[in-house]
Amino acid sequence: MTTPKGKTEAERLNPTATGPSVPIHLRPARTSDIAQLVPLILRLKRLNEEFDPLLKVRPDAEERATEILRHDISDPEALVLAAEGAGTDKDKVVGVVRARVRERPFYSPEKEGVILDIYLLPLYRRRGVGEYLLQELSASLKAKGAGVLTAEFPVQNEIAIRFYTKQGFRPITTLHGRTM
Amino acid sequence: MPPSGPETGRRSRKRASEEAIERTAAERTDALGARALRLAEYYHGKIETVPRVPVRSLADFSLWYTPGIAEVSRAIASDPDRSFDLTGRGNTIAIVTDGSRVLGLGNIGPRAALPVMEGKALLFKYLGGVDAIPLPISVESDAAFIETVERIAPAFGGINLEDIASPKCFRILEELQKRLPIPVWHDDQLGTAAATIAGFLNAIELTGRDVRSMRTVLLGAGAANIATARLLLALGHDPHRLTLVDHKGILDAERRDVDELMVRNRWKYRLALQTDGGDRRGGLVEAVEGADALLAASTPAPDTVRPEHIRAMASGPIIFALANPDPEIWPDIAKAAGAAVVATGRSDFPNQVNNSLIFPAVFRGILDARARSIPDEVVLAAAKELARHANDAGLTVDHILPTMEETEFSPHVAAAVAEEAVRLGIAGRPRTRAEFYRIAQEVMRRPPKLARELARSGVTRPMPDEKSPRRRKR
Repeated sequence: MTTPKGKTEAERLNPTATGPSVPIHLRPARTSDIAQLVPLILRLKRLNEEFDPLLKVRPDAEERATEILRHDISDPEALVLAAEGAGTDKDKVVGVVRARVRERPFYSPEKEGVILDIYLLPLYRRRGVGEYLLQELSASLKAKGAGVLTAEFPVQNEIAIRFYTKQGFRPITTLHGRTM
Repeated sequence: MPPSGPETGRRSRKRASEEAIERTAAERTDALGARALRLAEYYHGKIETVPRVPVRSLADFSLWYTPGIAEVSRAIASDPDRSFDLTGRGNTIAIVTDGSRVLGLGNIGPRAALPVMEGKALLFKYLGGVDAIPLPISVESDAAFIETVERIAPAFGGINLEDIASPKCFRILEELQKRLPIPVWHDDQLGTAAATIAGFLNAIELTGRDVRSMRTVLLGAGAANIATARLLLALGHDPHRLTLVDHKGILDAERRDVDELMVRNRWKYRLALQTDGGDRRGGLVEAVEGADALLAASTPAPDTVRPEHIRAMASGPIIFALANPDPEIWPDIAKAAGAAVVATGRSDFPNQVNNSLIFPAVFRGILDARARSIPDEVVLAAAKELARHANDAGLTVDHILPTMEETEFSPHVAAAVAEEAVRLGIAGRPRTRAEFYRIAQEVMRRPPKLARELARSGVTRPMPDEKSPRRRKR
């Protein structure tokens, strides 16, 4: 459930320190969160569907999301964070982040932290929440040995491009595809 | 106003009477359509170019045309702003459409949109003294639309966008307002919203409500209602008591399609976040529960609003059923279910929410003040002035808006618009309100006189299907 470093992560993820104006509480996800996390992952995938027909969501996406989350929550090379709301949304999971540390066999730095999924319910967007998420995520992945932070998202997602560009990201590799 | 009408359980009989009402209205619409087609064949269009200057002989063309006219061109070349004074530009607008959403007919294309744009041009002239050129354009993309309008702008003092599908109408309006130095208006958003707000202000006064504490449901989240919602919020309506409902149900911040809206329709997305469904979830049934007002501007579909929806609302609710040609619920049926005030988009019922009450006067005021844009403050100034006039003339449940016959309000609305433009510092030709009123009144008086004179002299041919000259037009 918790990684060896889970405890320090939980400590570091104290929202009161550099908290955004919309208070969210960020913490490592637990197996008991999965039921709340899956719908958020599915919302993200359906959003991606808007950008390219090759990102059509599979009918079994819900089961797959459940499996992947269950696996990643206990995988020391992966990181799943749950964002809890405040006020009436206290105890409600309003956002999810899933990332993973990946080897870079030919390049240095040798390890990258890849942001695979990042989703916040609309009312928790903007107002610096995404920036805060990224800061915390970055620290956690660095602690796992990552020397570079990357993010995967549909190339047509201009909102994501604007966000990451503002946070100092630039395009490195691209993934081109066609139907076979 | 207390709710009226019988609270009976005789459902089958009520159903039969509803059908009779619907049948009568549908027959009326069909008859008007058949006659409009015959007249279109007879007149070949509704407007034409008429000289503004005397032409006593061809010799006068040395002034109206070359060589004299070269001096006028030179003057404009050295000061382009003079194009507003030395030509008709300052009183001429383009009515631009791609025909992608014409009336309730859908995407019928630019050619089929032309009769509607001609009618609009006639209204602009007759009611506002504004020379309007119908300009349906054939464009494949939003960018092409925007570029086309940008390129024709030098000939015009303003642009009226018309009958463009949502959500591209928001994008096109926003972009053109950014790029053009002349005012750009989308009548299906702003004209309809302003007329709605005017009627709404009087309806809430009449029923003793307060915009800041009431609960309102907007049914339909297209061009008109998105603008109406924005204006309601600007008037101080509590966003958490404002519920937008579309064919997918209540528009809340966590609705399944909300991310799709973020990408495809950020105007609707923004309202989803601001109102969060008025703190409600579900569909129309959940939305109307205890609500004070229902403003419906949806895609026409019979029976969208049912008597039971109205019975579930607060006592004596306000019902605006604005779908055209068939309202979401017929006024008699809404009243029988307890509605205190009912408005529709039709002229054959009381309380017609009609853009024609707004757009001629708004453009009159905007052109007279030579405003560079039309911000929401100006739109609200027009709505409030219009409301004031219906109010002064005697506010009743069947008179929350002036009718098209009460034309005195129009120069007042124009003057209110112009004055607001001056106040906002966007007027290129500031004047006092009294001066604006006098100018508007004078300019607006001319076209009806022109029409009368042309008819009297027989230059305009009489209606071919009318024997008596005493019968009303339209």
